[in-house]
Amino acid sequence: MMPIFALQRSYKYMMYATKQPSLRIKQADLKCKNGCGYYGNPDWGGYCSKCYRGTMEKDRHHRKSHSDQSRSPVAGFSKFEEKKRQQTDKKSKYLNFAPVFRKTSAAKDVGRPERHHESRHINPEMQKLELEYMSYIHLGKQVRDDFFKFVKFFNVNIRNEVSSRPIEEVAAAAQKYYNFFANRINTHEIYSKAEQDVKDHLIDFFEKFSMTLLYGILFCPHATNDEEKDLAIQRRIRQLSWVNAHHLDCCISETSMEVRDLVYAAITHLLGMDSVKAPQEKLSYVVRCCQSVVEVLQHCQGGPVSADEFLPALIFVVLKANPARLKSNILYVTRFCNDTRLMQGEGGYYFTNLCCAVSFIENLTAESLNMSEEEFQGYMSGTITSVSAWESALVACEGMHQLCEHLSQLKGLSERMDDVQDATQSLRESMEAFKKEINTKVVEIRESTPLIIKPRKVPISLDKQDSNTTNLPSPIAPTVIATNPVSEHLEPVTIPITIDAVTDETDHDQGSVRHFYAQNLAAQELNLTDSKKGKLQLDITTPCMPIDTLKQSQSIELHGYDTQSLDGFITPDDGSLLGLSNINYDIDLSDLSADNSAADELTPEKRKSPNFIVDPFSPLNAPCNISQSPLIPSTAADLASSSNTDLKSDGFVLPFKIEESNLLDTQESSSPVNLPSPIKPHAPHYSGFSTQGVQIPSIPCNTGDYNSLNLLQQNENNQASSSSVVDGKKEENKSNEKVVKVLGGVLDTFDKLF
Amino acid sequence: MARDYDHLFKLLIIGDSGVGKSSLLLRFADNTFSGSYITTIGVDFKIRTVNIDGQRIKLQIWDTAGQERFRTITSTYYRGTHGVIVVYDVTNGESFANVKRWLLEIEQNCDVVNKVLVGNKNDCPDRKVVLTEDAERFARTLNIILFETSAKDNLNVEEMFLCVTRLVLKSKCEMMMRQNDTDNDTVNLRKRQDSRGKKKCC
Repeated sequence: MMPIFALQRSYKYMMYATKQPSLRIKQADLKCKNGCGYYGNPDWGGYCSKCYRGTMEKDRHHRKSHSDQSRSPVAGFSKFEEKKRQQTDKKSKYLNFAPVFRKTSAAKDVGRPERHHESRHINPEMQKLELEYMSYIHLGKQVRDDFFKFVKFFNVNIRNEVSSRPIEEVAAAAQKYYNFFANRINTHEIYSKAEQDVKDHLIDFFEKFSMTLLYGILFCPHATNDEEKDLAIQRRIRQLSWVNAHHLDCCISETSMEVRDLVYAAITHLLGMDSVKAPQEKLSYVVRCCQSVVEVLQHCQGGPVSADEFLPALIFVVLKANPARLKSNILYVTRFCNDTRLMQGEGGYYFTNLCCAVSFIENLTAESLNMSEEEFQGYMSGTITSVSAWESALVACEGMHQLCEHLSQLKGLSERMDDVQDATQSLRESMEAFKKEINTKVVEIRESTPLIIKPRKVPISLDKQDSNTTNLPSPIAPTVIATNPVSEHLEPVTIPITIDAVTDETDHDQGSVRHFYAQNLAAQELNLTDSKKGKLQLDITTPCMPIDTLKQSQSIELHGYDTQSLDGFITPDDGSLLGLSNINYDIDLSDLSADNSAADELTPEKRKSPNFIVDPFSPLNAPCNISQSPLIPSTAADLASSSNTDLKSDGFVLPFKIEESNLLDTQESSSPVNLPSPIKPHAPHYSGFSTQGVQIPSIPCNTGDYNSLNLLQQNENNQASSSSVVDGKKEENKSNEKVVKVLGGVLDTFDKLF
Repeated sequence: MARDYDHLFKLLIIGDSGVGKSSLLLRFADNTFSGSYITTIGVDFKIRTVNIDGQRIKLQIWDTAGQERFRTITSTYYRGTHGVIVVYDVTNGESFANVKRWLLEIEQNCDVVNKVLVGNKNDCPDRKVVLTEDAERFARTLNIILFETSAKDNLNVEEMFLCVTRLVLKSKCEMMMRQNDTDNDTVNLRKRQDSRGKKKCC
């Protein structure tokens, strides 16, 4: 360990010996004053170490012989007396909190034991430190005794050496004792119980304890020119007060409130370095200061901080803080802080940086601030004055500082204003350009769109035609055919119904067409629905048609009986009554669909008529009549459905009409007419009855037609009715013709039977 | 000793400003790249413990300011340094030219120190100016190991730091061997010091 230690010491000496003065010194200036050929050192009064020791030796003899109270100045220090005065002045200024045992130069020559005694008596700091030792009391009495024994030994030895040897040698001796104590702690059996970290703490505490005791004589010793250096650097920093962050190329924003607070914190920590006594405590203040600087930089540049940015920032902080006795503090820490600590760890690193910063300030030139020599001199002489926020904040009044801040804020605002204006201008231009573009595009599209839309329409219409050809047109054609006969058939009543039906159909068709327009792409789906419709049509039509024909045939049979029975029982008016009742029924139907009262009126008539008609449809009519009488709504439903079945009689039209009614029902579910819709499935079954009444008119028509066409010559029984119908009917129906043909066959059979 | 390390080495990173010294340090110490990571503490001082041949070595890496104007004062950093990492930027010829000056700086401030030459930012072949051959030749003449690294892509960074550590460890072991040979001298030296017989020469 020893050689390394010695090497480290020599480095340290080299650094603080040769590096402190300006680097612009000529080589000749570095030589020893005695001219011995070796290099000299300003700390040794310009002598080399050997010559310095010689002069010191001589000096001591000289002083002893004269028994002078004041120590004679070391040769070479011309301004010693002046310095002395400065020192005392400054001490009274700065050191109100100076250690109690800080001695005057007169007290220094008092005998050693006395001095020791003096330092021991009534010392609050000592008491505090002794209290602090209580944390190590668990190590036992032996450790305590050994510790304090060594502290005393260290104290006495250093005090002896301070008076007789230069401070650098004293420092070397102190380092030696530190090492010695460290070795003792690490090896001696008394300390074997302690943990390694406790040992380390104890070593640190030893340093702290001893240095607090010896602070008075070791800090800024009289034999050195530390005080002078302090004043020099202070003057220098004051001269450089104009240097701002910009000059140092560091990114500290001077106006940000948060940044300013952090910089103030850094400055406070740096100033706090002078308020503590132990070197390690001073070091901890330096670390805190530097960490604040790192925070400042992180705040300003928002990222990790490298040494390239850190050092200028630290220089800036040192310049703005201008700490008292800066040089003395640095030298004190360098000399008496445990070397191992100073060489490593954060404390060592940041302290090194602080030394660099101070060194930079000492050797600061125009070149190092990147400015011309004239400008630098202008600043230094005060011919050029710059108003910086920091300068005003730290030197001038608060108002000035605020003014600067506001000015900078205004500058920023005006810049932002310009930015906004530029942005608005560009936005306006872009909007105009956009407008033009839109206009041109609109024109282009207008030119091009008709061409685009036309071909679109064509395929749609084709699709529609295709779909319609399969589904729609075929039913429309028969409706036209069907409506005519119906309308002609029953002029007063059926016409509106048929019209409605037709209109509904057309609406439906149009709606479907619209549907096709709207959903071109969904043509397949529509086709599917169409096919469904077709199925529905088929499903409904196929059963309906034969039923209708059967009904018609049955009704015809009925009429045959009715007329006969009527003729036989009551009056021929009944035959006409049938005709009238037919008409009445039609009217009633329309009424019934709206009102139930009409249905009530109907029911007795209906009862009457079935009573007469019982015979042919006895199995079907009898129960239904009974059921109808209590269930008025059901009859209404039947009648409503009968209206549908009434339409069914039109043959081809039927399916569509049923569909429509279904659609209407689903659409208008709220209407009372729609209530019967669930009963509808029954309708085809019951239709036989209700439609009977409805179809009755058609039967006379048919009979009428039939009579008028074919049976005028053949049938005698039906002549009365046929004649009445013939009066009402003038034209022929194609559908009726078909029915008539069938009926004709049936009648033939009747005739044969008769 | 119940410490968490067997050796403590101080390494120094020097080189022109902007060559990526801090990035290298950050990459090695935190395995992050400054582009996307904000550290809570400054990168200028980092500690990492590595394990080499079963020995725990605590590396304490000091970052330095590389600006020209701080050149004269950075000598303070060299105190007690075990190894120096000289960094240049492969995309910046000037930084490579300055390597000579940095090496001279080391010569002036340190007696025996282990050095490595590092060409950083070796992640963009298009922008590379300093050829590997040139740097290799230069390193060979000075008997220094050359590394081409990229802190951004994490290329060679770990290897480079471990290499320096090995060099330092090797030289320390050699020194301890020598010390053991001349153990008597040290005892004598101490005795002399204690008896105030120490002679000091400038």
